[in-house]
Amino acid sequence: MTIQAYGLSAELSGHTILYPTNLDFKPGERVGLVGASGSGKSTLGHELVDTLRARGASVAHVPQSPDEALDPLRSMAFHWREAEKALGVAPDHARREMLFKALQIERGDLRKRPWGWSRGMQQRFVIAMALIGTPDLLVMDEPTSALDPVVAAGTMDLLEDYLKDRQTALLLITHDLGLAARRVSRLMVMEAGRIVEDAPTSKFLSAPETQAAKALCAHRNWLELPC
Amino acid sequence: MIGIFAGLLLRALVVLTGAALATFALLWHAPGDPALAIAEARYGQNVSKEVLDFIRAEAGFDDGFWTAFWAWLVPLLKGDFGQSSVNGRDVWPDLVTAMSYTFPLALVSLALGLAVSVPLALIATRKPGSWLDRGTVALASVGVAIPAFWLGLLLILLFAVQLGWLPAMGAETATHSILPALTLGFGVAASLTRIIRSGILEARGQPFLPAFIRRGVARRDIARDHVAPHAAVPVVTVLGLELAFLLEGLVVVEVIFARPGLGSFLVSAIFARDFPKVQAVVILAAVIFVVVNLAIDLIYRSLDPRVSERDA
Ligand SMILES: Nc1ncnc2c1ncn2[C@@H]1O[C@H](COP(=O)(O)OP(=O)(O)OP(=O)(O)O)[C@@H](O)[C@H]1O
Ligand SMILES: [Mg+2]
Repeated sequence: MTIQAYGLSAELSGHTILYPTNLDFKPGERVGLVGASGSGKSTLGHELVDTLRARGASVAHVPQSPDEALDPLRSMAFHWREAEKALGVAPDHARREMLFKALQIERGDLRKRPWGWSRGMQQRFVIAMALIGTPDLLVMDEPTSALDPVVAAGTMDLLEDYLKDRQTALLLITHDLGLAARRVSRLMVMEAGRIVEDAPTSKFLSAPETQAAKALCAHRNWLELPC
Repeated sequence: MIGIFAGLLLRALVVLTGAALATFALLWHAPGDPALAIAEARYGQNVSKEVLDFIRAEAGFDDGFWTAFWAWLVPLLKGDFGQSSVNGRDVWPDLVTAMSYTFPLALVSLALGLAVSVPLALIATRKPGSWLDRGTVALASVGVAIPAFWLGLLLILLFAVQLGWLPAMGAETATHSILPALTLGFGVAASLTRIIRSGILEARGQPFLPAFIRRGVARRDIARDHVAPHAAVPVVTVLGLELAFLLEGLVVVEVIFARPGLGSFLVSAIFARDFPKVQAVVILAAVIFVVVNLAIDLIYRSLDPRVSERDA
């Protein structure tokens, strides 16, 4: 069943930061959302998740920064237990071990609070929390921004592995076109609160239509990056 | 952890020593002849020079500041608060009697303040900016500004004089405590309401909360597990100040309601220039203050271990 959300919009103190936007995702589809910093990518992600959640759909969200995802006064173990409870799944030690191992955070001390972990470890912990259940849509906001290229690639591989035999659709928000091009089948470009281009990845890369997309594609050497 | 605890203890020790030295120095250098005041308190007007000399020698006023200070401090460290310089009775038993009136009143007032302020702050912050919230803030601001002596007299006028429902003076029965507890509890409730309210509002603004909602955590669980601890941090921090506020109010309230507690004990000792008694109360207050603040510091650190991490 296709996931659809219509009329997503956002205002901030009387200033429109997201103009009415319609989105749809086929089951298992992987979509990238790129655009300049401040164009409204995170805002669109939040609106999408909130709208779908209000409708009762199952969505998982990985915020852009771990500071937006973790309570500094609570232990990592608490966060994990809470996330399992929120999803209504029974605590599963093996699943946690598997995810932690794949994300290379199995050596992190769960009794510690977030600030006892490095930022990159925190980010991977948040990704792991998002992968506990099987949502219809997974929204990831710059999931690899705090990770070194090797770990980032490993994280994306785990994600592919996870998505492979599920119906979960993915919205990957990033300003890294190189990352997006390798992992998604459709790319959307945002500019000043609007989606200005929406095309299959191959078409997007070979024949960008808008100025914003052309500017992004001008940096095609990003594609050489190992992720 | 051990190091932090030792540091806190050391700080407590410094505060106590400072308090002891400061009180002693202040009383020592107070204007007027303390020996004369003691003599008058004991024997009435027109005391002879011999009597004054005797009192000076007895109280150690002739030996100089440090000798007198040590002569007071060394027994004090063994728990001996000395004798009243007016009637020669041991200070400690009288101090205990005074405490038996003051501590229950302080605890009841604090409990009353908490019982009112926590629900009030919770209701007010349901809809920040609503008339209920504004009314609560206005009431709390007025409550903080009202002096205890004025509120106490007002309550006496209304409930004791006009209506005749409650006794105003003394401490014979539990009903005698109602008006003093209301007077003190009102001030505590007012200031705690403001602090708890702003603590809750600040906690609600924490940047990570939307993520917990998006993760599907129930609102009630978010309030209990994430908002409440963050709101508690500033509240716990100011509880120590709240205690100072309470001690100050206790003195006033006990005098107004003629209760034989620590406040009255202190005031009458000051008027009689009964140094050992005054010093005993000040040291006791300092010890209470230090112990409570130590406890608060430990609670604070267990709530937010980032503090200890920064100190280490
Ligand atoms: N906390 C905020 N205060 C003020 N303005 C904000 C805030 N958050 C977002 N905005 C506004 O919303 C717009 C869109 O922000 P958003 O975070 O969605 O951009 P983004 O595309 O995710 O950027 P980035 O790539 O830097 O993460 C920004 O241009 C900014 O003007
Ligand atoms: Mg963003």
